[in-house]
Amino acid sequence: MRKVITGNVAVAYGAMLSDVQIVAAYPITPQTTIIEELATMQAEGLADFDYIRVESEHSAMAACIGASMGGARAFTATCGQGLLLMHEMLHYATGARTPIVLANVNRAVAAPWTIWSDQTDSVSQRETGWIQLYCEGNQEVLDTTIMAFKIAETLRLPTMVVLDAFFLSHTSEPIDIPNKEEVRSFLPSFDPGDLWLNPDNPKTFGGITMNTDYMEFRWQIQRDMEKAKGIITSVHEEFSRMFGRIYHQVEGYHTDDADVVMVVSGTVASTGRDAIDSLREKGEEVGMVKVKTLRPFPREEVIATLKGKKKVAVIDRNFSPGATGIWAQEIKSALYELPEHERPLIYGYIAGLGGRDISVNTIEEIYKKTLTDDRPDDVDIWIGVNYV
Amino acid sequence: MKYTEKQVNVPLCAISTTSGLVNKTGTWKFAEPRFVDRISPCNQQCPAGEDITGYMYLAGQGKFEEAWKLIMAENPFPAIMGRVCFHTCEEECNRKDHDEAVSIHTVECFIGDYALTHGFKISDIQPEKDKKVAIVGAGPGGMSAAYHLKRMGYATTIFDSHQSPGGIMRYGIPPYRLPHTILDGEIKRLYDIGIEFNMGVRVGTDISWDSLESQFDAIFIAIGAWEETQLGIEGIHKQGIDNALDFLHQINLDKNPKIGKKISVIGGGNSAIDCARSSRRLGAEVTVVYRRTEKEMPAHWEEIEMAKEEGVQFLFLATPKAISGNEHITDIILEKMVLGDEDDSGRRRPLPTGETFTIACDGMIIAIGEATRVADLPDSISKKNGVVSTDQMGHTDHSKIFAGGDIIDIPHTVTHAIGSGKRAAIAIDQFLEGIKAEEDSLTQFRWGAKGNVSVGRIQGTTQFVRRNPTSEVVDYTGMNPFYFDHRQSTKRNKIAAEERLKGFQEVIKPPSQEEAVLEAQRCFNCGSCTECGNCYIFCPDNAIKVDPDGYGYIADMDYCKGCGVCVNECPRGAMKMEFME
Repeated sequence: MRKVITGNVAVAYGAMLSDVQIVAAYPITPQTTIIEELATMQAEGLADFDYIRVESEHSAMAACIGASMGGARAFTATCGQGLLLMHEMLHYATGARTPIVLANVNRAVAAPWTIWSDQTDSVSQRETGWIQLYCEGNQEVLDTTIMAFKIAETLRLPTMVVLDAFFLSHTSEPIDIPNKEEVRSFLPSFDPGDLWLNPDNPKTFGGITMNTDYMEFRWQIQRDMEKAKGIITSVHEEFSRMFGRIYHQVEGYHTDDADVVMVVSGTVASTGRDAIDSLREKGEEVGMVKVKTLRPFPREEVIATLKGKKKVAVIDRNFSPGATGIWAQEIKSALYELPEHERPLIYGYIAGLGGRDISVNTIEEIYKKTLTDDRPDDVDIWIGVNYV
Repeated sequence: MKYTEKQVNVPLCAISTTSGLVNKTGTWKFAEPRFVDRISPCNQQCPAGEDITGYMYLAGQGKFEEAWKLIMAENPFPAIMGRVCFHTCEEECNRKDHDEAVSIHTVECFIGDYALTHGFKISDIQPEKDKKVAIVGAGPGGMSAAYHLKRMGYATTIFDSHQSPGGIMRYGIPPYRLPHTILDGEIKRLYDIGIEFNMGVRVGTDISWDSLESQFDAIFIAIGAWEETQLGIEGIHKQGIDNALDFLHQINLDKNPKIGKKISVIGGGNSAIDCARSSRRLGAEVTVVYRRTEKEMPAHWEEIEMAKEEGVQFLFLATPKAISGNEHITDIILEKMVLGDEDDSGRRRPLPTGETFTIACDGMIIAIGEATRVADLPDSISKKNGVVSTDQMGHTDHSKIFAGGDIIDIPHTVTHAIGSGKRAAIAIDQFLEGIKAEEDSLTQFRWGAKGNVSVGRIQGTTQFVRRNPTSEVVDYTGMNPFYFDHRQSTKRNKIAAEERLKGFQEVIKPPSQEEAVLEAQRCFNCGSCTECGNCYIFCPDNAIKVDPDGYGYIADMDYCKGCGVCVNECPRGAMKMEFME
């Protein structure tokens, strides 16, 4: 079925097609239409899940953890301040190994109050142990939501599907909606194994653990995050075989012969493709890399793609006050292990905070600055700031 | 070995090696929750000792037969009660502090009518005993006593001088308040269970008290108050002057007495209003003359309202001094009164001014109170101030004789009479069984502090499960009103005033099932567990469990940490915390 829908409706379709059993969510702009759409689907009989109304995002995640511990496929959606309020529970979900799927609509954080997009909310959750999958378009949003359940349940790690506020959440695109039977054969029902609250075999989960064992539990999270790289790739491939659409953790665009490569994530990748095309028409040897996974960070693929490039320009729609943009940190960290002659110079740029446009012109400006500057500045360059 | 292939010797998430139940967190507590069955203010108030919160709960679930049985455990006349009881329960209702009191009588009326329509029968009769009880008086008190005693297994025989049973309900209340079909329907059930009615027999005249005493093991007297208080004023014996009881008797015999065109009714009680409203239906202009003001009137305010709707006039602060006219009344000479200090009843007393005026009328009905004809009572029992002296349960100083209704010192209402009949039935049972009625044993089956008793509580036969009953009364501050929405009470439909004056048809239309259920669902069920599940849901330790033996919940003290969340979240005050020793 082909339909013109927004990114938020695509999320709802993804969750509905995945036969989600519990939705616990709290409304917050610009996420609200996800759970509204799900509630409508439930009311119309398209979906058969229990909707738990909660008083906060913290409770939403707590309810999802409980549901998941009870053996149910659980889903929630939030954004911005809501995700920040969930923070404590995000950590818990990982430690409890609950394969919850959360759709986060990237919303910039307050103060000052705003509802527009940037990635600060989700990159702030980098250390919570959630797999994070950033999406470029509405089709990827829907497909990734379905794949997220498979990834999460295979690894017993919670997974976040991330989409830009408004650019995706409230913008419609024509997309293919898979039929439910196909999705069911791709994504079998959740089997919690022995790790669930079974009334016939009552156990306490996540109880106090001494220093003799704690590191072992945490190490397994790290091990499984490492495994996740392979699992995500195999899920992408399986999805592709079934539905004909392929996704990558690291996807190059005209990188083979490029001296300068831009690194982007989310919707900036779409604009980036146009910018690269435009620059290429002018004879510039420029390419682009779209990174989909922030966690686990696909360092091997990043190294393989960027090895030997002269310059890498990382565009961050987020920043870490006192340091650099998060993607720039990750790229630098990954590429540092290359020998010096294969190691690109890495230029960090901060752009598009709080929903400010990152246009083709913005990307061309970044490219030109990267090309002309012999060495990167000590700190990230902020693009488009109105200095006086 | 590859990083991702390494293993550790723990599961993915910390899992207890045994059930978490080994950790008995109950050792931490210093206070414990208790499931208690408190008394609702309405139950405490009901002179007939009905389990109102219980039958509201059942009716709200559409369990009308069970609700009816629950009322019948205490009171044999739900359909009558739903009409004529002045429902003081509603004045006590905790919901009045929330939005508006529950219209309890609406629900009771519906349940009573539903039982009559569906032909419900009394079935809980205990095996016959070899003791016989005589009941003198077939009014609400006498029939109530007979009903309860019969259900306890006693052979009961009623004697009454009237032709038909019902007493004041038949001869004193106009049919527009209580249709005779309803009265007859509920009394018929008493015939059906084998209570013997000897109508037209006046004890003391047709049969002597002594012979009654020799034939029966106990006697209950409830002959009522049928003597109208007289006005000792000049001209009181002129034609056209009637008294309330005689007038209402005529109305109820369907005799449509000939009355004047301009009637004055003297008095401010419910009888006065009954006479005034009945006179309007006979085509007269009516003025109620009362010596105090409307505020001090003993009549029920709804009755006064309906009288006004029907065109009854009121003349306050006036009292008759003399009657004018030749043979027939033509005028009343009235003295103007003023209000003085409060009297013993808390109402301001009327004081004469000496100033008189005259109103014209061709008929007058005196309704200033009724008294018992003491001469109709046996000499062997003590009386004081015109009423029979009894203990709290209606026992006179004669061992075999008990008394109730209007002849003892209680308010003259049908409901109080029914309550007194029940108390006497309990006392007679204890007397005949040789049980000494200790004060302690009586408090167990009392609804709170007002002396109203429940047979269901004694016999444990109530259909509504009540566990750990206590005598504590729960007020609004003892509830958690968060769990109750705000919804106004059902407004009962009345027929239009001009339509009412065409006859004696019932004024307040019987409630529909929908109205009754909605109203019953407004009840907070104060103090009693309705299995709402809040304690069960909120307990952070899963220490509240569904009672495997039946109704409600239990707290597992091995795990209860004594936090009190359950008690706080109980909407209806059916739990409490107790500090441990």
